[in-house]
Amino acid sequence: MSEECVKELSNKERMNLPFQEMLLMDPEKRIKTFEEVPVGYTPEQAKTEAMRCIQCKKPDCIQGCPVGIDIPAFIKLIEEGKPAEAAKKIRETNFLPAACGRVCPQDKQCQAVCIVGRKNLPVGIGNLERYAADYEREHGTLELPDIAPDSGKKIAVIGSGPAGLTAAYELRIRGHEVVVFEAFHRAGGVMVYGIPRFRLPLEIIDEDIKFLERIGVQFAYNMIIGKILTLDDLIKKEGFDAVFIASGAGLPKMLDIPGVNANGVYSANEYLTRIYLMHADKFPEFTTPLYQGEKVAVIGAGNTAMDVLRTAKRLGADVSCYYRRSHEEAPARSEELEHAEQEFLNWKWLSNPVEFIVDENNFIKQIKCEKMALSEPDESGRRRPMPTGEFFTDDCDTVVMSLGCEVNPIIPSTDDEVRINKWGIIMVDESTCQTSKERVFAGGDAITGGSTVILAMGQAKNAARAIDKYVRGKLKEVPNVPTDPNAPGVQWSFAG
Amino acid sequence: MTDKIKKIVSQIEIENEDTISNALDQIGKLKDLSDEEKVDLSSALSVLFYHDHAGMVEMIKLANRAEKQIAKFGEAVVPFLIKEVTNADAESAAHLGRAIALNGAAAVELILKAWDENRGDDFAIINLIQTLSYFRVPEVVKALPEILVASKAKNHQVRAMALNAAGRLSQRLHANLLDEKIRTKMFDSAFTLISDNNPLVRANAARALGKMLSKRLLNDEQREKLLKSYNAILGNDEKHEWDYAYIVRHEAERFLPFCKAGESLADRYKQSFKIVSKRELCTKTFHFEIEAPLLAKKLKAGQFIIVRPHEFSERIPLSICGWDEGKGTIQIIVMAVGKTSSEINNMNVGDCFTDMVGPLGERSHVKKHDGTCVVIGGGYGTGAIIPTARDFKQLGNRVIGIVGARNKDLLIMVPELEEVCHEVMLTTNDGSIGIEGFVTHALQQILDRGEKLSHVLAVGPVPMMKAVSDMTKPLGIETYVSLNAIMVDGTGMCGACRVSVGGETKFACFHGPDFDGHKVDFEQLVKRQKMFVEEEQKALATLGA
Repeated sequence: MSEECVKELSNKERMNLPFQEMLLMDPEKRIKTFEEVPVGYTPEQAKTEAMRCIQCKKPDCIQGCPVGIDIPAFIKLIEEGKPAEAAKKIRETNFLPAACGRVCPQDKQCQAVCIVGRKNLPVGIGNLERYAADYEREHGTLELPDIAPDSGKKIAVIGSGPAGLTAAYELRIRGHEVVVFEAFHRAGGVMVYGIPRFRLPLEIIDEDIKFLERIGVQFAYNMIIGKILTLDDLIKKEGFDAVFIASGAGLPKMLDIPGVNANGVYSANEYLTRIYLMHADKFPEFTTPLYQGEKVAVIGAGNTAMDVLRTAKRLGADVSCYYRRSHEEAPARSEELEHAEQEFLNWKWLSNPVEFIVDENNFIKQIKCEKMALSEPDESGRRRPMPTGEFFTDDCDTVVMSLGCEVNPIIPSTDDEVRINKWGIIMVDESTCQTSKERVFAGGDAITGGSTVILAMGQAKNAARAIDKYVRGKLKEVPNVPTDPNAPGVQWSFAG
Repeated sequence: MTDKIKKIVSQIEIENEDTISNALDQIGKLKDLSDEEKVDLSSALSVLFYHDHAGMVEMIKLANRAEKQIAKFGEAVVPFLIKEVTNADAESAAHLGRAIALNGAAAVELILKAWDENRGDDFAIINLIQTLSYFRVPEVVKALPEILVASKAKNHQVRAMALNAAGRLSQRLHANLLDEKIRTKMFDSAFTLISDNNPLVRANAARALGKMLSKRLLNDEQREKLLKSYNAILGNDEKHEWDYAYIVRHEAERFLPFCKAGESLADRYKQSFKIVSKRELCTKTFHFEIEAPLLAKKLKAGQFIIVRPHEFSERIPLSICGWDEGKGTIQIIVMAVGKTSSEINNMNVGDCFTDMVGPLGERSHVKKHDGTCVVIGGGYGTGAIIPTARDFKQLGNRVIGIVGARNKDLLIMVPELEEVCHEVMLTTNDGSIGIEGFVTHALQQILDRGEKLSHVLAVGPVPMMKAVSDMTKPLGIETYVSLNAIMVDGTGMCGACRVSVGGETKFACFHGPDFDGHKVDFEQLVKRQKMFVEEEQKALATLGA
């Protein structure tokens, strides 16, 4: 369709265009490989999907994006056949477009408020973001951003996950010298150790890291802040003008039931780290082992649970998902749930594990569950799972608990001045992300207790703005950091 | 020319946006074109490039579409395009050049040939160099030496374009394609021109060098030189004479921040992890001293590190037997049991560990006690008790060390332990030296002679730690054991190191590694340590394979 024809399309016609499904690798084929499942749009598909956007005068989608991407503008550029410029547009507000296009819960953000979605399926904003970002990477059209003149200020960023990388980028382009401290031997944080390759290929993360290096962000690996250098060391001895804590939510929640320490019972963190950071799937070429039997039970139904389920399937197991609520309450991103459901897994909804039964060598052999039933919606509107007194037992030889994480305690436990609440979440001033310790800011999962890549990025952007002001002596307000240990972590509010 | 083609060509010739757009649509749909027809169409389309498009957004769009369309015609039209490019104005040359560059390797050869044929015609050469700068295929590396020769041309426009191309290609090509030799050549050629008489050449030189710098193609020495030059251009040096041309200063300002990579702050946090000494303590057991100044500054008794000897290995926890802050080194003892520990023992002085992270875990529970403190070591654990024993002694405690082994050949680190203890007792299973029996027999002897014991620390094999704890529990003597659970990250992130202590699940990596021996579920610990027994055997089998 030529551009002239496009212009003639009325909003009604645009809204009636069919949603462009992104082609998926065939389920039979994909469960045998770690290659990416959605194969991406063709240029024609991307253009057609872009035509579905009616270019609202007051776009709700921008409000629905935690980092406020100018969504209609970049979609327009794709429609005009300028994917490279579209990518540039996205980069004005989000420097990880390839990752976000793939792992953002668009169904709960921009696409949820899309006007087109009132009558038809919403515009595939995530798919289009991915298309533009992939085009940019594959065609090498990425340009280096302008960097403000050297400010002479040094900033330490702790952690190289989505929040840390975003803050590093935002602070570097404002002219500061930035060092990112990473505990592991490579950067990327949860995007490397916790998100499977079939959702987010490694080369995408590496490109983003390389890009940061090219603009002058520095990385220091094998550095556990709190241990090898404390916050005081960074500020007083190393001379950093500000510190941004983005150490994430790296403390797995475990079930408190008999047999939880059985052999073959993993946290999702351990299971995924062994495979994706340490390459246990290529054992023994890589030495890190993974013990996985033939029947794998995964507990939980969030995004991470889906990742574990699908990973275990790819490693050849018979995999079942146990969740104490029903399908409708599963917290996973709808696309992940959908993809998982295509992959020959067993679903045990309304099943609450009560015991892991072990053999004489402490290896897991069975999982005992209580059947649950949903109550009427409570005051929060959520239907609670209620025990029924009915039990069942399944054979299994591996269990992975995917129940979410708590905040990693290393930094707060090595510094008295950084205030935390009773759940270990670092307390900050909601508008500036300042902690109770001078010169120290925090963001990402460390201040929320766990969320998504894009929310962590949104917070990091806000924090970076405040840090920039702070080191330039322009942040005058006294930070308002909650003192009540019962205060919740930062609740997300969308950036306008 | 068929009528159809003729008609399309005539449509393009009418300078009307709609008609041209329509013609482009039609061309896009044409199939099975002969080479001749492709050339005819390219010729017609290339006319669009020559229009003065200033301010005409639609025409610019159409020209861009025409460029893509011509590129799609493929190799058949490349000779025509090259001929065209040698005569084109700047704007058209850019369009034509990009269309040619999309055709890849074969086109590089043809351009080099055209270059030869057009020697002396600077105008043509400039456009050919520009065309080369648009390529992304590895084959264009072949053209680089020729481009660098051109950077010495008499005509300043040729020099400027050659620099432009060198800079652009250094950004577009994968760094691996440019070896040390060509990098040096590129740097040297550009660097001489940073003091050229012509400001355009100087600006382009500053930019080309900046691009090479930002792509990390320069070594430390080159970066240093460039930093000086940029500072001189900006008048930042002691002479305070900035380059009078704004375009030159602009480039220097833009790329100055990249020079900072040379004096990287992050370098301060890089440790070499180089082995500075290695000695065999007994069969399969080695003592290593390793360069790790940051760790040496922070380690405390009882803490441990996680190492990854090479890219393919796993992360394994190792206890520390000492450190020297002045020398910036740490000391570890490694006993070869699995693949990774065997690999470490095969490393030699001068080899470096890929990664090493720490200090992990909490410091041992040391304080001043009324009675005697006993530190007990077995196997590799004999090293681990030395720092704790030293701390106890420094706090004014009486310290007794007990070391146990199967026979006297397996006893290690005894002289080092003697330095930090008031007394050291040895036990061997076969009685080849010291007390015949186990470490518990030595502990019994201390109790028998009526000495008051306040604290016991045991580090070593689980059965030994369990035996010690079982013995002291009824006596109510405070006893700590250091647990060597299986670990991955060591920061509490994975939970692989779960141990049951007093009925509660603890993470050995950050709640430990020292725990109250009277509360530890040793049985579970032993079983959990056997989680990967089969895999370890498989891994071990690949060693040296």
